[in-house]
Amino acid sequence: MSTPTLAQSEELIFREARLLDERKFEEWIDLYVEDAIYWIPAWRDDNTQTQDPDKELSLIYYRGRENLRDRVDRLKSGLSPASRVHPRVAHLISNVEIEQKGQGEAIVHSTFAVHAYDPRTDRASCHFGHYLHRFRSADEGWKIASKIVRLANDLIPTVLDVNTI
Amino acid sequence: MKLYNLSALIDDRPTDGVFRINRSLYNDPELFHLEMQHVFEGGWVFIGLTSQVENIHDYYATRIGRVPVFVGRDKHGKLRCFINACPHKGARIVSRTSGNARMFVCPYHSWTFDSAGSCKNVKWEKSGCYAKGFDEEDHNLKEIARFGEYRGFLFGSLTPDVPSLEDYLGESRHMLDLVADQSEQGLEVVPGRARFTYAGNWKMQLENCSDQYHFTSTHSSLIKVMERRARGENTAAVESSLAGADFWKGSAEGVAGGSFILENGHVVTWGRMDPNPSLALFDRYSDLVAKFGKERTAWMFNMRNLTLFPNVQVAVNASTQLRVIRPMAHDLTEMETWCLVPKGESAEARRLRIRQYEDFFNPTGMAVADDNAVYEECQAGIAAQEGPWLQGHARGLGGTVDGGDAYSAMIGVRPSRSIAGPSQLADETLFQGYYHEWIKRMGAVLA
Repeated sequence: MSTPTLAQSEELIFREARLLDERKFEEWIDLYVEDAIYWIPAWRDDNTQTQDPDKELSLIYYRGRENLRDRVDRLKSGLSPASRVHPRVAHLISNVEIEQKGQGEAIVHSTFAVHAYDPRTDRASCHFGHYLHRFRSADEGWKIASKIVRLANDLIPTVLDVNTI
Repeated sequence: MKLYNLSALIDDRPTDGVFRINRSLYNDPELFHLEMQHVFEGGWVFIGLTSQVENIHDYYATRIGRVPVFVGRDKHGKLRCFINACPHKGARIVSRTSGNARMFVCPYHSWTFDSAGSCKNVKWEKSGCYAKGFDEEDHNLKEIARFGEYRGFLFGSLTPDVPSLEDYLGESRHMLDLVADQSEQGLEVVPGRARFTYAGNWKMQLENCSDQYHFTSTHSSLIKVMERRARGENTAAVESSLAGADFWKGSAEGVAGGSFILENGHVVTWGRMDPNPSLALFDRYSDLVAKFGKERTAWMFNMRNLTLFPNVQVAVNASTQLRVIRPMAHDLTEMETWCLVPKGESAEARRLRIRQYEDFFNPTGMAVADDNAVYEECQAGIAAQEGPWLQGHARGLGGTVDGGDAYSAMIGVRPSRSIAGPSQLADETLFQGYYHEWIKRMGAVLA
């Protein structure tokens, strides 16, 4: 349990993807530790991203799992015109690589492409980029302590939510 | 050129209490083409902030209507705006979004220009056997016809035949002052921008920024989240500045807000927000009162969504946002958005403002995506031309008055029309400001 194997890392990342694809949002939130960071930096210019969330803009910056619950409550509320009809989503993730392992912690890179089809508009979109997960060991196994999403194509068509990235 | 019959597009009969817009105004590709020509390329538009080009040789690229331009600071510190196209073959000179360059070299045949736009080198000119005609031509980068600044906001016009910038902005300058006066050092944008598109007409964004009627409907999922946080179920989130105000709640008593039509298509809708710690500006409250007095300071804290026709909006409500509208087609609009902040505010105020901004204003947040979705529902519904007239510009028609009111008097702004009332008023007459200016700019194609 002190360090995850590549297979264990992939298992956690793939499970997160599947839970989002299957819209099992409560189970998705349970993958995160309570003080988890969920961060999608913005682009500062053509080729550099913002680095300091307290001084620069992010697309999403959350410190604390309950923020994800806000998002999930909203997604499921039936009150949000952008999410009344849920998109059909497929997360494709590859290039999983463990950068660093410590006692009870690991930093894991991966590359994603998330395809989403929105029945409301009959439009398909694809967002792609890189994930950086930090895992922490907990009583129930490995959990996500932070997730950084580096979104490459940031001209966002209408809506981009936690289930489509 | 096809002439449009104005009375078939806009039914404006004040004496009968009627103001109606024809659906085709949002849904006609030919009309859209004319709008680009006459509204966006035929008059003043917003093109950026001076804080984007603070240093000598800084530049950034943008567009005026369909025309690519770039704004740069030359070696003497003078701001200039050029058409972003080489005189030689028309290639874009600047292809980065922003940067710093002493010289601009065309990527195609290396014609070279300095930061004042002067052509410094036509490659192999002497051996090029050019004839007299070429020598007599101006090879410099073309500056746009009119360019000016007001308190850090930059505006340009491709057409020389426009009023002075001062006259174009008119009374709306008071509303810009309320933002610019928040710091002696002026304004800037937080690094990092968010861009998004929606499949709808640009005028939907124009109107929605001034629409208080939609908030409790379109954004009811966000209101639920705010309620959840108020119950202490998510203590990890920053408090929304809207949670501390009631101008948007149907239950607000007395005058909760109102709207002003300023001249030249500029309008503002406002709501009462009392100074409180959920507002990033709050830690400067006593300084501001000392400098500007209580009434003017109260206005700095009020919710106010300002539109400068046709393409920029300063939304001061859940945080502060600068929105630039870029129409792409009659049914496609691109938005470029920034968190607009007073320079030199405290680190804590900046953090609060940024978190509130992301929550509400980002396309990845919990409010704007819902606006985008309803614009698309409007665009889809408007395709049905069953009875061309919309009923969305009628609220307030029985209450709007000429000139200002007690609230405009507090900041010395002189609206051409105004209205104030309880939150359930949710005025729609301010949209007339947009359409009266639209008619003015589109005059050449209207019969």
